Amino acid sequence: MEKNKKKGPQKDSGKESLSRRKFFVSAGNAAIGIAALGSLGVTLDFLSPKVLLELPRRFVVGMLANMQPNSVTFDAEHRLIVFRDKQGYFYALSAVCTHLGCIVEWKETGIPGHPEGVIACPCHGSIFNKTGDVIRGPAPHSLDRFKMYLEDEKIIVDMTETVSEEEMILKV
Amino acid sequence: MDSQFWRSIFRTRLPIKTNLDRSLIIFNSLAMHIHPVKVRERAIRFSYTFYLGMISFFLFVALVVTGVLLMLYYQPAIPNAYNNMKDLQYVVSNGIFLRNMHRWAAHLMVITVFLHMLRVFYKGAYQRPREFNWVIGVFLFLLTLLLSYTGYLLPYDQLSYWAVTVGANIVKYVPVVGKSIRFLLLGGNEIGEYTLVRFYVLHCVILPLMMTSLIGLHFWRIRKDGGLY
Repeated sequence: MEKNKKKGPQKDSGKESLSRRKFFVSAGNAAIGIAALGSLGVTLDFLSPKVLLELPRRFVVGMLANMQPNSVTFDAEHRLIVFRDKQGYFYALSAVCTHLGCIVEWKETGIPGHPEGVIACPCHGSIFNKTGDVIRGPAPHSLDRFKMYLEDEKIIVDMTETVSEEEMILKV
Repeated sequence: MDSQFWRSIFRTRLPIKTNLDRSLIIFNSLAMHIHPVKVRERAIRFSYTFYLGMISFFLFVALVVTGVLLMLYYQPAIPNAYNNMKDLQYVVSNGIFLRNMHRWAAHLMVITVFLHMLRVFYKGAYQRPREFNWVIGVFLFLLTLLLSYTGYLLPYDQLSYWAVTVGANIVKYVPVVGKSIRFLLLGGNEIGEYTLVRFYVLHCVILPLMMTSLIGLHFWRIRKDGGLY
C-alpha cells in the first residue's frame, strides 16, 4: 500500500514536469534562440554586397577583323588571354593563375621542350602550355577556359562558366 | 598633502608608512590593481620571462597610439589610400616617423608574441592550471597575424594588392565554405573598394576591440591562475 501511495504522486509529478514557470522559460529561450539565428542570417545577408561594381563577365573582346591569325591578345582589364591560332580558330584562357591568383604572362620564346611559347606565372613559377595545361609548378590544375561566340563580326567571351579544352575552341 | 581635495581624487591616504599603505596604493588604483601587491623576487628577474609578454603589450599600445594618429590622414578609398600613404611619407610633418613606427612595431609584435609563446612552451608554463590561458594566447597570436594581414592591404600598393590576393585565395581552399568566406572577406569577387573598407574596419575597429578584450582576459587569468612563482 505504501509503495503504491509513493508511486502515485511520483508518476503524476513526472507527467506534470512542464510547470507554468518551466513553460515560459523554455518559450522565452526558444524565442531568444530564433531571434539570435535570425539576426545571424540577416547579418550574413547584410555582409554580402548586392551590387558589385565589377566588370561584366560576358563582353566583346574584339572585332574579328582586328585579330590576326597566330596572334595572342592580353586583356589586362578582364585578366584574359585570347589566342587566334594559325588555322584560324579562337580560344580564351583566364590569366589568373590557379595556384594563388597572380596574373600569368604569355612568353613567346617558350622554354626548352616548348618552343611554341608558354604561359608563366611570376609569383611562384607555375608554367602552363599554350592551351592552358600545367607543365610544372605549384598550380594544381589548368587555367580556366571560357566559351567564345561570334556575333556580328564581334568576338565575345563568356567568363561566367568554364568549359573543357574541346568546347573552348571557336572556329570561324 | 592629505587634503580633502587630494583625497577626493586619490583613494590612498597620505602619508604612506606601513606595508599595508604601500599595498593599498596598488590595490586602490585602476591602472595598478592588475598587478599583484607582492611578487616573488625571482619572478621579476629578466631571465625568468624575458618580459616578452609585457613587451608585446607595450608594442600593442604603441600600435594603437600611432595607428589612431595615422587614421587622421588616411581615407580607405581608391585611389586616396595610396596617395594618403605617400602624403604621410613626404608631406605630413613626422608622418614618415609615425608610419615607420607603426610598421616596425607591427613586425616586432609578431616576433615578440611568437617568442613569448616559445618561452611559455619551453618552460612548461602552459600546464595546469594555465591550460586555458594558453588557448587565449593562441587566439591573441592569431589576432596579431590577422591585424598584420589586414593592415597590409591599407597602403594599397602593388605589394599590398598581391599579398592580399594570395591570402584571399588561400582562404578559398577551405572546404565547402571557402568561396563564401572569400566573398564576404573581399566584399566581392576581387579586391576593390569594398575590400579596402572591410579591411580598414577590421584593422581599426573589430580586431583591436577583440584584441583588447582578450588581453584583459589573458592578464586577469594570469592573476587568477596563481600569478608568476
